[in-house]
Amino acid sequence: MEEKELFNGQKVKVLGATFEPGKPLEPLRWRHKEQTREEMLKFLESSQRYWYSNEWYGSERRKNPA
Amino acid sequence: MSSHESRSVDPATLEMLEKAASDGVKTAFERADDVRPCNFGSEGRCCRNCSMGPCRISSKKEAEARGVCGATVDTIAARNFARMVAAGAAAHSDHGRAVAETFIAAAKGEAPGYGIKDVQKLLQVALDFGVEIGDRPVEDIALEIGEKALEQFGQQEGELVYVKKAPLNRQKIWRELGVVPRGIDREVVESMHRTHMGVDQDYENILLQATRTALADGWGGSMIATDLQDIMFGTPVPILGRVNLGVLKEDQVNIIIHGHEPLLSEMIVYAAQDPEMVALAQSKGAKGINVAGICCTANEILMRHGVPLAGNFLQQELAIVTGAVEAMVVDVQCIMQSLPDVAQCYHTKIITTSPKAKIPGATHIQFDEHDALSSAKQIVKAAVENFPNRGANVKIPKYEVDLVAGFSHETIDYLLGGTFRASYRPLNDNIINGRIRGIAGVVGCNNPRVKHDEIHTTLVKELIKNDVIVLQTGCSAMACAKEGLLTPEAASKFAGGGLAEVCETVGIPPVLHMGSCVDNSRILMAATAVVKEGGLGDDISDLPAAGAAPEWMSEKAVSIGQYFVASGVFTVFGATWPTTGSEKVTDLLFKGYEDIFKGKWAFEPDPYKMAKLMLDHIDKKRKALGIDKARERVLYDMAMRRELDAV
Repeated sequence: MEEKELFNGQKVKVLGATFEPGKPLEPLRWRHKEQTREEMLKFLESSQRYWYSNEWYGSERRKNPA
Repeated sequence: MSSHESRSVDPATLEMLEKAASDGVKTAFERADDVRPCNFGSEGRCCRNCSMGPCRISSKKEAEARGVCGATVDTIAARNFARMVAAGAAAHSDHGRAVAETFIAAAKGEAPGYGIKDVQKLLQVALDFGVEIGDRPVEDIALEIGEKALEQFGQQEGELVYVKKAPLNRQKIWRELGVVPRGIDREVVESMHRTHMGVDQDYENILLQATRTALADGWGGSMIATDLQDIMFGTPVPILGRVNLGVLKEDQVNIIIHGHEPLLSEMIVYAAQDPEMVALAQSKGAKGINVAGICCTANEILMRHGVPLAGNFLQQELAIVTGAVEAMVVDVQCIMQSLPDVAQCYHTKIITTSPKAKIPGATHIQFDEHDALSSAKQIVKAAVENFPNRGANVKIPKYEVDLVAGFSHETIDYLLGGTFRASYRPLNDNIINGRIRGIAGVVGCNNPRVKHDEIHTTLVKELIKNDVIVLQTGCSAMACAKEGLLTPEAASKFAGGGLAEVCETVGIPPVLHMGSCVDNSRILMAATAVVKEGGLGDDISDLPAAGAAPEWMSEKAVSIGQYFVASGVFTVFGATWPTTGSEKVTDLLFKGYEDIFKGKWAFEPDPYKMAKLMLDHIDKKRKALGIDKARERVLYDMAMRRELDAV
């Protein structure tokens, strides 16, 4: 554990770097994780919920508008 | 010490300018010295829309205060501005149309080589266009999407489909002002009509139509181009690339792809990997075939294949000056007519491929989307066969830098929440808690009237130093990539403490490369997602965000700027401003628009002052949201929660 200063000046203990050294040889191909159409649509409803789902609570879905 | 030091901050560019001078080659940098801009034209005070003129309006002389037709300087400046927007929107939208036409051909199976690479994005766009999904074959869904997308160009009434993706409050503003685009082509045509001699003579009304036209670009043509390209070629994901002229290879056939539409460049990439082509290259004495890009077509193939970037707009001539380029293959937009002249001093072949863009002195090989791979092979073959003609006058600057690109709106969403709950919440939270001060979009071209890359890089460094996360596209992204700002390591080196913490946690650079100029539509979607996620207001104009095009030169940049302003973003341009001849028009764009659109323009050539303008705006928005100072955190018990009215 090393001691670091937070952006607001507070002193905190953090883990050191956890990444593996070197350069990525391949792109981060996350788009292929959903295989079936059902999985894809489900993912869209979740990740792009602002447009394709009612299951979210952002600024535009508050009871009391700003 | 280079005698060209005042021209660029990029060492590779300076080295090649020296070589160009010793080879007797003139570039845009020297032509900018030779051709002085006309004051009347650069201030928007010159009207050549009819043969009673051209009329150069001098506001200082009463007798010359109006054109022959009676048009005031305000009308003329507004018309010129609107025509710039129309041309920019036309360019982006024609790009979108070409993609839509190829997309339809691919769906019908009439364009071998093209297909559906990203089914998830296909389903996403199907939802946008209201296309039934069910169990239908992918090709059927794609065909219907393609046809509906193409209809958006010729649509006469109603609203463009993508308008409904904007924040609800933004849509309300547009509808109240009557600036929702009805159809993409219709708005461009109407802008041209209204700015014809003797039609619209109310500068405010002209600028409203310019806004509607710009919105038809950003929330229309550009967005269609981006989305359909994603479906055909894959939505960008984080990928490692290299940038600058050092990516050219001395022992390989070098092919530069330059322009904007990825339809051609995608196929060139495949053709260059074809064993038959590689064998041909080896038979000519080359070790292989090296493809690199210039301008936005470079960004497109970088984002999807990791193909290296040779450089940005002002490096197109300099790539040829290396003497190591067998062919520069161009399609449309931002291509200098001087390329064949420069190429005459070397062995480089300039190959035009689009019927829309031919250049005297270039070889034209028509690119046929219906037989794309054989067109591409023909082009690659021409380059390979040119390899033995390479002379001894070769010098490749030893400058190339790593970058990470591929930050589509969907990828940012995924990186912040994974597949379980992809989300912009962490970004919003870190803006609210102050780690990230705000968001900036820094985009646009190069302009030899200012020091190449200097304004881009200085501005972006200043922004990230002040904890502003920067989203980039186009030549601006390349400028910052050459400066080493587009790697995760740049966060600890250049960013402020708060932004660096977030970048380190997520594993992203402080400057995110989102793609080409049509991909500015990705920035619109990211901004909309931040709004909808909640906690930062109800509209894009509420966000602590600002935009800039520090070294702009093209009409496309004006269209982009206008659609960002109309979407509620404070947008600063550097280099020059095209309406300064009219106080009223400039005041409306720089001040009045804040009341009308809740976004406005500014002009500031100094990068530090530009950064200050953007930071001041970001701070103003933070204050309005009540997140300008840290608040005491209160742990709510159940009774306190029950008292809450909000969700």
